[in-house]
Amino acid sequence: MSTSAPAPTTAPEASGALPPGPDGPGTPRAIPASRRSSRKTRSAAGKAVLVVVLLAFTLFPAFWMLSSAFDAKAGAGGQTLLPREWSLANFEYVLTDGGFDVYLRNSAIVAVVTVLASAVLALLASVAVARFRFKFRTSMLLMILVVQMVPLEALVIPLFVQVRDLQLLNTLLGLMVVYVALSLPFGIWMLRGFVAAVPVELEEAAYLDGASWGRMFRSVLLPLVMPGLVATSVFSFITAWNEFIFAMTLLGGASENYTVAIGLKQFFGEHTNEWGYIMAASTIITVPVMIFFVIVQRRLSSGLVAGAVKG
Amino acid sequence: MSTTIQAPTPAPGGSKTPRPGVGPVQRNRLIASSRPWLLLAPALAVLAVLLLWPLIRVLLFSLQDYGLREIVSGESNWIGLANYGEILADPTLWGVVLPNTVGFAVLAVAGTVALGTGVAVLMASLGGFWRTVVGSAIMIAWAMPAVTGTYVWVWIFDADRGIFNEALQAVGLQDEPVNWFTNRFSFYAIVLLNVIHHGFPFVAITVLAGLLGVPKEMLEAAEMDGAGPWRRFFQVIVPNLRQVFSVVIILSTIWDFKVFAQVYLMPGGNGTNREALNLGVWSYVESFGQNRYGFGSAIAVLLTVLLLIITVIYVRALLKEDEL
Repeated sequence: MSTSAPAPTTAPEASGALPPGPDGPGTPRAIPASRRSSRKTRSAAGKAVLVVVLLAFTLFPAFWMLSSAFDAKAGAGGQTLLPREWSLANFEYVLTDGGFDVYLRNSAIVAVVTVLASAVLALLASVAVARFRFKFRTSMLLMILVVQMVPLEALVIPLFVQVRDLQLLNTLLGLMVVYVALSLPFGIWMLRGFVAAVPVELEEAAYLDGASWGRMFRSVLLPLVMPGLVATSVFSFITAWNEFIFAMTLLGGASENYTVAIGLKQFFGEHTNEWGYIMAASTIITVPVMIFFVIVQRRLSSGLVAGAVKG
Repeated sequence: MSTTIQAPTPAPGGSKTPRPGVGPVQRNRLIASSRPWLLLAPALAVLAVLLLWPLIRVLLFSLQDYGLREIVSGESNWIGLANYGEILADPTLWGVVLPNTVGFAVLAVAGTVALGTGVAVLMASLGGFWRTVVGSAIMIAWAMPAVTGTYVWVWIFDADRGIFNEALQAVGLQDEPVNWFTNRFSFYAIVLLNVIHHGFPFVAITVLAGLLGVPKEMLEAAEMDGAGPWRRFFQVIVPNLRQVFSVVIILSTIWDFKVFAQVYLMPGGNGTNREALNLGVWSYVESFGQNRYGFGSAIAVLLTVLLLIITVIYVRALLKEDEL
């Protein structure tokens, strides 16, 4: 795949360089035209090399993860780039004896509850900060930004004590509550950009037609903000799915309640690590995240910038 | 601002029958003015209980000798600033932890922003098809969870059978497999690679969105005036993208200062290799490894304060007040 990459890259560039050639003779730029086109091909070739290097660097870890996951002999030494013995044995073990079926179910429950709860809370709050001017609005926004900056390591100690006092240690409920709180600030911050992007005139039109605020919210604002809501939900899904430090701390003792992120630990042995299993489990964890990511990437980045610069 | 509306005070019915003073109009006005607070209330309650209160509590813990006994009994055990004194007098802080945290963050932010911007410029110059290919590829790097991403890098650099060691041996650059995780610098070089690999796609996508928004006429005018590509980049594009770069730099700095999983999950990263500690890991290891929750809290407070200072400086320097 990597060898076929450079050819098409140069093609559009080369054809782009052609037009100046034919109409060149009539103009005073006739002579430099060939030199210019050779420089163009050289820059196109340089670009092709850059693209190949970039693709290799970017994709290698994911490729290596997949390759090891499908290799029955991964970790036996003498690695080759492609699996020497294609098999699904690693996946089979991970999903049955490895206990990943349970971890996947736990992670899914935690993620879905987190997504639903934080989507509702973040949407309401973002409408408030994007659509209304009120006292303390700016300080509220700053507070949300600051809270988001706080390192998890600072929160994990008091939250551990708090969750312990509530007797929710080793339960999924304790973890969900924490994840909702963790994904809220970013959700509010991002949704605010999406809400602000909906033209106010539409809302005013709804009022003129006699709609109450609640009706306007349901029939005008909600459908228009839906793409942003989806993007934000995906983000909180990923937060809950990937989170590691709280899962490790709050679920420490109860391996039947482990989420996928900490379930991986058990394949690390005292002396040897089962790399085939680890990579198969990693693949199972990573694939859903990647699918979600590709779906929402554009909205995610544009929403982030919009949220940052629009009022 | 144009996107803000005044709360729709009078309900349609109220304006038809003008009744002065009391009655539904005033009640509606009250509802309208309290509406933002009603909307905010649930989220604020969650944030207050689960983020703000813990933040206050970590501060309180940091002033106590808070261990297992205190957790179980719920009693407090105030010792003033003794924890902070102990941290500041600890050679681990100045020799290992602070360089590992700050030095790493500086390199990681610089590397992430530089690579991300370079990739964005490259993507902007590509045709539609290849831009999509590169875009999807970097999306895959971005989507890789920190936990699994770290394990993959550990596997690549594994001391016994990692492909990196085997490749070096095959080429003849080394005779014996090297354990890259024991040396502090090679340890953090791997963390750096991991963090940059995971972080640059966000920068690239964000900067690309900004780049595509720079008016073509401006670039053409600059080219007419004889500005080379470097000059065009630094004097036309960068000022135009000041906003985008601010956001990207602030967020990257915040993220790179608090890398945890990427260090903790590496061999020796969970505190067994004291040379590899950074502020976050040190705090966690002291708290949950040694049961010194007070001491760990004090480290966490220091990390938070450090981040706060940096953010304030950045926000002051990069963002104007009215842009929030």
